[in-house]
Amino acid sequence: MTVRVLEAGLLSTIQGNPRTGFRHLGVPASGPADPLSMALANRLVGNAASVPALETTLTGVTLEFAADTAVAIAGAAAPCLLNGDPVGLHTTVPVRCGDVLVVGAAQKGVRNYVAFSGGLQADEFLGSTSTYVPAGLGGFRGRGLQKGDELLLSERRDCALLQTPAGFRFPISHRWALRTCRSCETHELRHPADLFDRKLKISKRSDRMGIALEGGSFTTESLAGMASSPVFPGIVQCPGDGSLFLMSVDAQTSGGYPRVAKLARLDMHPLGQLRPGDSLSLIERSEADAARELHEKHAYWKEWLPDIDRVI
Amino acid sequence: MGLRFVPSAGDDLISIATAGPREAQSLAKQLRNHGEWLEVVAGIASVVVRYDIAVMNRDTAQKQIRESAEERSSGAVSVLPTVEIPVVYGGQAGADLGWVCARLQLTEEEFIALHTASEYEVDMLGFTPGFAYIGPAKERLSVPRLTKPRVRVAAGSVGIAEGRTGLYALPGPGGWPVIGQTSLRLFDAASSEPFVLQPGMKLRFVDVGRS
Repeated sequence: MTVRVLEAGLLSTIQGNPRTGFRHLGVPASGPADPLSMALANRLVGNAASVPALETTLTGVTLEFAADTAVAIAGAAAPCLLNGDPVGLHTTVPVRCGDVLVVGAAQKGVRNYVAFSGGLQADEFLGSTSTYVPAGLGGFRGRGLQKGDELLLSERRDCALLQTPAGFRFPISHRWALRTCRSCETHELRHPADLFDRKLKISKRSDRMGIALEGGSFTTESLAGMASSPVFPGIVQCPGDGSLFLMSVDAQTSGGYPRVAKLARLDMHPLGQLRPGDSLSLIERSEADAARELHEKHAYWKEWLPDIDRVI
Repeated sequence: MGLRFVPSAGDDLISIATAGPREAQSLAKQLRNHGEWLEVVAGIASVVVRYDIAVMNRDTAQKQIRESAEERSSGAVSVLPTVEIPVVYGGQAGADLGWVCARLQLTEEEFIALHTASEYEVDMLGFTPGFAYIGPAKERLSVPRLTKPRVRVAAGSVGIAEGRTGLYALPGPGGWPVIGQTSLRLFDAASSEPFVLQPGMKLRFVDVGRS
């Protein structure tokens, strides 16, 4: 029950549940950079939201199956082919031994999730199967996939042929507006109001650790002398060179640059789809409003994804 | 016990200011032992708690943090060994040593003598797996972080910023000027004890020559 990697793409990793509860040892969360898309793909093959699946980056992946199973793809807009015939995202795709699946280059967004009925087998470290490449943890030998790798499938589950209903296909865009709260050092920005409602640009310096944001000239009053402090995915740092740095799922656990904002939990899941050149506006929310809107978002998504409160 | 809550840390974060790293470590340990938190992370002068806003509002979380902080702790203090960290200073191993010395108006030899002279303590782990923040901060060796962080710093790099020394266990981005490199492996995922250093541990730097 294996899947062979014919083309590995820019960075393809196995991701599962985030590695929660070990930041005090310097161990980042990891997990899917777009957990909602991974949950949607898993849902279509009968899996729970964080069953280990494949995350691709920009250029996709090509896989050859040595087993009959079912797969599903969700995430970035990308052309996908099964044995040369187009297959859609957001649909259960039965595959047979010998079939070749191509996930094409992302046209909008960055990452696709390929879920396999029953899930992929993966290494576990501190209770999580997610790959963290810098330390070689989890996933497939702690690294990105390479041509020729043989991935092991867990026992397949019975699954119906499904499609994600229209209202649950999260739209992938080139323009993003994400709800954001103030953070510990927001008041140290020379002009805190400048953070919000302006067009920032996603820079090329963008990966699973974080995303540099251009389009402003952000400086703080007292840059020197900040004690190293805990940071988390979603925190926006102001390093002092004018840019901002939005931390993502593999982000370090502490840092010495002012923390000037934090994406609200409910709008963290698109982090993995912010593509160099996309525009981003940070929309200010109070902490109370961000919590209320999270409850509303959970209530909406629960209808299709019962475990949504563990996804976003 | 009066806890100093920072007014706003983020929708699901609560930050508590502390006097220093020891207070931060002890409060963080206390909170990890009592209460249902997603993460409890100590900084040099703060503790940040990430909690599940889907099940708990801010007032409840703050109340539980206060209650947790007042729980009786066991009082057991573990005695940790002193660890020697071999360091190759300067040259390719420490590309920023020249810049650091120029700023501090020290020769490289003077810097190394000062850096290896005293006993240090691990203030916190963080950044990446096994990265250690080493104190106490030394006023005389205080330089700022790089304004543009490096995209890649080698594993074992020894950095210095704000008077503290930082040990990079893994290759990755970093904002601390690099003064040298150690051959000691600080993080080993395959080991039953993956983390070589832990907060409170005493250590010394040993000059093992130039690159």
